[in-house]
Amino acid sequence: MIRLDHVRKVYRTRFGDNVVLDGVSFDLHMGERLGVLGRNGAGKSTMVRLISGAERPTAGRIERSMSVSWPLAFGGAFQPMLTGVDNVRFISRIYDQDFARNLAFVEDFSELGAYLKEPVRTYSSGMRARLAFAISMIIEFDCFLIDEIGAVGDARFHDRCNHELFGKRGDRAMVLISHDAGYVRDHCNRFALLHKGKLTLYDDFDIAYDAFREQIGLVARPMVDHATATNRGALIEVSQHRAHQDDRFRMLVQEGDWQRDARAWTEAERRYAEALTLYPYQRSYWVQHAHVAKENGHFARAEASYRTACALGEPLGDVYEHLAFVMRRQDVEPDAWPVRPYHKGPVHDQVPGRPDIGALARLLWQDGVLDDGEMVERLRRDTSCDAVMAAMLHDPRFADAHRSWLEAARTRGMAQDAAAEPRDGEVTADAHDVEWARAVCAMALPDLSPAENQALVDRITGDPDAWATLLAANGFAGWPLAQAALQQLLSPDAEP
Amino acid sequence: MAKAVSTDPSLRESLRVQIRILGALLVREVLTRYGRHNIGFLWLFVEPMMFTLGVTALWTATKSVHGSNLPIVAFALTGYSSVLLWRNMPGRCIGALWSNLSLMYHRNIRVLDIYIARLILEFGGATISFATLSVLFICVGLLEPPENVLEVAGGWLIIAWFGAALAITLGALSHESELVDKLWHPASYLIFPLSGSAFLVDALPKVAQQYVLYIPMVHGTEIVREGYFGSKVHAHYDLGYVLPFCLVLTFVALVTTRWVASRVVPE
Repeated sequence: MIRLDHVRKVYRTRFGDNVVLDGVSFDLHMGERLGVLGRNGAGKSTMVRLISGAERPTAGRIERSMSVSWPLAFGGAFQPMLTGVDNVRFISRIYDQDFARNLAFVEDFSELGAYLKEPVRTYSSGMRARLAFAISMIIEFDCFLIDEIGAVGDARFHDRCNHELFGKRGDRAMVLISHDAGYVRDHCNRFALLHKGKLTLYDDFDIAYDAFREQIGLVARPMVDHATATNRGALIEVSQHRAHQDDRFRMLVQEGDWQRDARAWTEAERRYAEALTLYPYQRSYWVQHAHVAKENGHFARAEASYRTACALGEPLGDVYEHLAFVMRRQDVEPDAWPVRPYHKGPVHDQVPGRPDIGALARLLWQDGVLDDGEMVERLRRDTSCDAVMAAMLHDPRFADAHRSWLEAARTRGMAQDAAAEPRDGEVTADAHDVEWARAVCAMALPDLSPAENQALVDRITGDPDAWATLLAANGFAGWPLAQAALQQLLSPDAEP
Repeated sequence: MAKAVSTDPSLRESLRVQIRILGALLVREVLTRYGRHNIGFLWLFVEPMMFTLGVTALWTATKSVHGSNLPIVAFALTGYSSVLLWRNMPGRCIGALWSNLSLMYHRNIRVLDIYIARLILEFGGATISFATLSVLFICVGLLEPPENVLEVAGGWLIIAWFGAALAITLGALSHESELVDKLWHPASYLIFPLSGSAFLVDALPKVAQQYVLYIPMVHGTEIVREGYFGSKVHAHYDLGYVLPFCLVLTFVALVTTRWVASRVVPE
């Protein structure tokens, strides 16, 4: 049995004490597999290190009456200068085990072959993970600590790890932490949520997960650093990675995955769409969104999402087959409307996706919601952000939405100062408004400094005259088609 | 198969585990430090031998003044070997924990084990180097055999004890503050000329003798020289000072290690 009794862990830092664990108590018996959920930095790994004995608690007691492993798949347990064989020999000596038998097992499980005789520092991360896991399995601990095992390796390796751990060693005690809540659900029989230093125990995954979900929702939006991404190209590049660092995004796409696996297409589509509102330029989940829309029979929507994914950089080869399928189901020959892949260059030249058209629609038509048919029509026809914008300017909805601006501009020119009269009172804006403002600024004025960009975003967030403000700030200046469309609209012989 | 944790192991059992762990750490240390290339672990004592030989050659060439009629080779060998012994031990222990943090995940390995393994290695290297060179010089005829081998060994062990206690203290402190590493290098060079390796205490003025004998390694070096040259030198040392000094320093070393072990955070 392992017993934690009011365990407290405090790290001294330059900016004061950081209380990571604040009175954590639980018992863990043989056969119990405890899955720990918690946000990034909640202290899950610290707790595992304390249980392993590598680190000592600031206060409280940890009793172990069974042997406890080191955190599994932890590559740091090796000496990188030594060969794989030497590492096996060292671990065998430390734990008083039969070296020859262990080496045979590691050779068999890790499938590293001759590499075992090379220094570990020459291994790839996948090879390290295989060696680490194999070495972890040679000691028959009573309790295994598993910290993010799913992070490396291919599917077959995962299956073999799961078989070794949960199959052959299913009778042992385990503490498992993972970003993948599904992994925790599938392999644990007790659950816990670590939040603000406190650990709450649950017997039921769904209850634990609901609490986790609520907690993530309650916490304010994490600090996402937009400072380095003031233009659309940069936003696309950073979104792929940043999205996965955001607990809310991860949770939404995970739930989407679960719903997809349960073939609940509508639910899955909703979750993916929600996730993509948070990070509209995250291409791989546009593909997922398209897949579930396709399964659900929304072929136009699926096509729009596939095209968006490609516009944001998803390799065409990976989605072409699916795209061709949904186009044929709409009775359209795939070759009639070729897909345009992502390319760098000035923003107006970049290939538009759904988020761009949505943002422009809100700016130009004051209505960000397009139906699937119209969206896919735009994506098929318009090769660049510039072309989309020109087409949308020619649409009567623009003149309807900006009638007074058009009239004023015909007399005074475009660069009138719309924000001359200060806005009164607080502007009510939610996170979506801010995101929209960012997206629009990243298109209209991509070369601003981070500070200028922020000032502009603040100014047009929730601003009903955002359009006028942007043009006054010389937005969309280098967009030839859009500028031509504007000139045409403003010319005296245009219809009032 | 690993046994369940025994809550109350016998002393014999604990000792067995301790020896096994130190053995494993030693092999690991030798392999990481010297590898399997060229002469491999022979570097352990070839390196200090090269040092001593070089210094001996230099001192012979410059006919260093050392205030006695001892042959310069004998003087350099005993002096510089002693320096290597007490100076390399802290050098190896400072920062040792940082590079071995991952070992803390194995519960049988304690912070002290890491230091002890390195000290055994360092002691072995310096001792083999000293013994080999002695035998070599004696065979060639550059050196007379020591008059009292046991006394040489005794003095040598006192230096080693002091070096080890100092090394563990500095090693443990260096985990908490990098200042230790920065200060040790100049300090070790400054203490070197004062450590008794480059002079005989007897040759110093009376006033200086009194102060120089506060430095613990001077005593050990003097004992080594007395063992080697016996009647030819008049050695100054005080076991009543150097032994309690080492004892207290050892206590400090163990307390510091315990303190650091309670604060160590593995990666």
